[in-house]
Amino acid sequence: MASGRDVRDMLGLPAGADVPKAAVQKRPKPAGGSRKIQGVAREVAALYGERPPPVAVYEEKKAYRAKRQSTGPAKKWVQQPFTNPARPDGLILKHWRRKPTAAPAVQESEDAAMQDSENLDAYLESCTDYVKYDIKVDMPTFTDEEYDAQLRSDDWSREETDYLFEVVQDYSYRWAVIWDRYEFEPSKNRQITQDNANADQEQALSTLPFAPSKKRSVEDLKARFYEISAKLMKLRIPEVQMDADQYSTYEMLTKFDPVMERNRKMLATALINRNMDEVKEEEFLLTELQRINMAANRLDAEREELRSRLDAPPPNQQVSAGLQAFTSSQALQALFQQLFQQDRSKKRASGGGTGPGRLSLSANDMVHTPGSAQQQLSAANRRQSMAQQPTAQTPVKHLSPHQEYRFNVSTHDRLTSGVTFGSDKLLKMRQAKSNVQTQKIGTMLASLGVAEVISIPTSKVGDVFENLITKVSKLLDVRKVREKEEGECRVLLAMKERRENGGSASVEPRPKQEIPDSQGTPDVDADGENDDEEDAEGDPENDEDEDDAEGEENEDRGGFNGEEDADEDLDVDAEGEDESSKQQSRATSIGGAGHKRSASVFSQGSQQSSKRLRK
Amino acid sequence: MNIPNSSTAPAAGEYAGDEVSAIVLDPGYSTVRAGFAGEDVPKSVCPSFYGLTDEGKYLFGENAIHAPVGNVNIKNYWGSDGIVEDWDTATKLWEYAITSRLTGARPGDPAKNGLNDGADANGDAMDMDIDAIENNEKPLEDSPLLVTEPGWNSAKAREKYIEIAMEDWGTPAFFLQKTGVLAAFASGKASGIIIDVGASHTSVTPVLDGMVLRKGVQKSPLAGNFVSSQIRQTFKQATPEIPLTPHYLVQSKTQVDAGAPAQATYKSFSSNPPTDSFRLNEEDRILTEFKESVVEVWPGPGRFTNGTNEELAKNMPGRPFEMPDGWNQVFGPERFRAAEGLFDASAALTSETNPRPKDEQTIPRLVQAAVQQVDADQRPMLLSNIVVTGGSTLLYKFNERLNYEINNIYPSTRNKLIAPGSVVERKYAAWIGGSILASLGSFHQLWISKKEYEEHGAGIVEKRCR
Repeated sequence: MASGRDVRDMLGLPAGADVPKAAVQKRPKPAGGSRKIQGVAREVAALYGERPPPVAVYEEKKAYRAKRQSTGPAKKWVQQPFTNPARPDGLILKHWRRKPTAAPAVQESEDAAMQDSENLDAYLESCTDYVKYDIKVDMPTFTDEEYDAQLRSDDWSREETDYLFEVVQDYSYRWAVIWDRYEFEPSKNRQITQDNANADQEQALSTLPFAPSKKRSVEDLKARFYEISAKLMKLRIPEVQMDADQYSTYEMLTKFDPVMERNRKMLATALINRNMDEVKEEEFLLTELQRINMAANRLDAEREELRSRLDAPPPNQQVSAGLQAFTSSQALQALFQQLFQQDRSKKRASGGGTGPGRLSLSANDMVHTPGSAQQQLSAANRRQSMAQQPTAQTPVKHLSPHQEYRFNVSTHDRLTSGVTFGSDKLLKMRQAKSNVQTQKIGTMLASLGVAEVISIPTSKVGDVFENLITKVSKLLDVRKVREKEEGECRVLLAMKERRENGGSASVEPRPKQEIPDSQGTPDVDADGENDDEEDAEGDPENDEDEDDAEGEENEDRGGFNGEEDADEDLDVDAEGEDESSKQQSRATSIGGAGHKRSASVFSQGSQQSSKRLRK
Repeated sequence: MNIPNSSTAPAAGEYAGDEVSAIVLDPGYSTVRAGFAGEDVPKSVCPSFYGLTDEGKYLFGENAIHAPVGNVNIKNYWGSDGIVEDWDTATKLWEYAITSRLTGARPGDPAKNGLNDGADANGDAMDMDIDAIENNEKPLEDSPLLVTEPGWNSAKAREKYIEIAMEDWGTPAFFLQKTGVLAAFASGKASGIIIDVGASHTSVTPVLDGMVLRKGVQKSPLAGNFVSSQIRQTFKQATPEIPLTPHYLVQSKTQVDAGAPAQATYKSFSSNPPTDSFRLNEEDRILTEFKESVVEVWPGPGRFTNGTNEELAKNMPGRPFEMPDGWNQVFGPERFRAAEGLFDASAALTSETNPRPKDEQTIPRLVQAAVQQVDADQRPMLLSNIVVTGGSTLLYKFNERLNYEINNIYPSTRNKLIAPGSVVERKYAAWIGGSILASLGSFHQLWISKKEYEEHGAGIVEKRCR
């Protein structure tokens, strides 16, 4: 009917579309042909198309199964009669066994078959495979004499004791079963028949004490059995001769307490018989406990981690550079201060009415020793860990000196918090503790042509200015010392003059001495004098002392300068002392004063030490 | 290494099996199961119901008791207390169960068994018959026999078992084991609580190390037959009453709408109508079918009759059922009612003939009572091994409900139900356990041999089969 061309005409396709179609058809062929699916009919395989089948198809012959051993004739099986040696009655049962291929297995005719069957009938296998399951229970045994001597009990008759032992043996110490099956009846009927010959009284006597068959609990049974076992054990082996194992069993047997056992079981029963609510409550509590424990563990772990970071920074400088700052207690104090501030501000932000949280910091915490401060810190740090840890872990990039210069990068041993102006810093440097000193510095700088306000106070300018200031202060110090020494020299010269002029010098030097000391009341006592001198000297030299202290606080270099100063001063002192060495009585006090005065120039620390020395 | 196939023998010592072609007999109220030890299903399952004709002839087997002939009374040899009542018939029925499928008639002497005889030997044929009778008198001379018994069996009944086996059947060795223990073995447990919901009785048996704890054994008549009677009552109380027409009465049926009266042509048994007991038995078959396809246990939580659950059940899709005569209907929430009595005595349907069951007879209470009788130390262990067995536990959602009820009683212990998934394992668990036990090599020591029986008498069964 309609050919391909007609259809194409109807659909409006170009007539030459045959060629690409053929090309398309050709392409999948090699792909499909290369992967031949086996074990499937060709038509079925064609249905898969290009895609591989969703499940792996295996040929049937590939199944991994043992092949039937079909070589030779079928093996013969016989119903082999056997006995089990564990049975006392020699019961003969039959099981199927391979026919033993003894001698000439393949013989012809019925003769052989007849012989075989006869042999087999005669043969009786003794099957010992399962004898090992024939287990007898170890039981303590006792004789009549032993029972009479040792094992009597008011509660237990001999008959019942024997019955107990029998039951224990029968059920091989399974006490739950023993108790279940324990049905002791003080065999009245047996006794009645037995005792028919005897007098009625006797019968009554023999049965009476044990007549009501008691309902015994597991504990009663155990207690009786253990008691007898322990006694027998002791009888057989004296306690001294028992080895460790034996003694432990012996102890266990003697220590059995039926009352305690009963109570324990009562508790166990109560535990089982709880109702749903109680169980739910317990479950709830348990989960709660677990939750708390987990939280505590996590807290401990975090603390531990933090502590390890704070206490023992790893030697790796690269990593620990950020942490290095927190290794000293001072730095920790600073960190704590910072955290405390943050905490406070946070509280203020949240309204502050929530009351003291467990982890919030209080001012009291600050006065603690570094150890306790650390703990507090760790607690605080848990909050701040998000903020702190990144800084701690940022690797420090090292720049070459040139680069540092170029980018104006500076490194600091420690930084004070907050932002400061460079000009403030310069201004601060200008100011000494006393106005006199400040004025002196001011005039000095003015004379050098340094402006009051430096327009661009960069850090470099600051450094230079700092150098300048230290030099200025050093100069001022030196000048002060010089003036002092000059003054002393003048005094000494004046004294010399006087001694040369007038002979009596015992009263006169005193007013002279008052000049530097500016003290109204003279004192004879050496100690008192010294004290007064100290007090007096405090006033005029206060400025200098404080100045020095400040200098030391600002920079290490200040300390350096101080040391240099000390060298100079010592020289001067030495000279002074050489000069005054001739006057022995006075010189000690004056030289000491001089020494003291010069020392006060250095620092507070040195002054204090010298004071201590003199005292 | 090769995977062993069906023809390769198991390696020595691979399992402790050593089969001595023992026969396991597991009689129950509904069916008697018999088969060779070591197999996984009983080969012979025949109904415990039997037909007794007016002439005193016994009819055994499925085919015989369901044939609608007159003058046949359908009976059962079990007593109402779950202990064999009619021992003579029981012996005959069990023998039938064993010989019909397992051992067959014993082969006679080849010289006389008739196969080698010519057509002319009439006298020989007579001899052969006598021989056959003699042989048939002792049908089990080759096979040891393991018989199961209910946990509450009396000592007298136990002695009767061994007497039958030894005297009547001449078995070389015999053993008696309780169904509970064997059901536990079938699930691979030596200890546990076995809940066996059979046809006539529900029993709960605590088992410890393969030994029944006698004090804990509980039984109640709330079982499969009780559910059947509940269904019967449902049909009776329905408006209009739902007709119960057994198969044998229907010749042909036509399709009718749901709830519409049946339009069927019935068979007429004018000359020799079947007895009432026959009809009752046939009706029970329909009820069994109904139980299997419609009845559902309310799976919890809560009881079915607590108000809200009934409302919930109304919204669940119903299940259709069609009677043999074509009458059909979709059963809604009432299908939950029939089995609710097993768990909730107050929910059981009652009438003059069916008084309200006692609360202690419900399954949860039985379990509770059984556990109460066990030593406190063993209770958690037993509760984590609850084996569910018996044909009536196949009721839809039975296990869910049981699980709910037990967890409700014992919320603090870890309770685990072990219910085999396959129908055969659930129905024949006791037989399978017996099959395992009797095929073990280590069991050889436990058999009571004929010699021992002769020495000690029937009382030995009490001593040996604990």
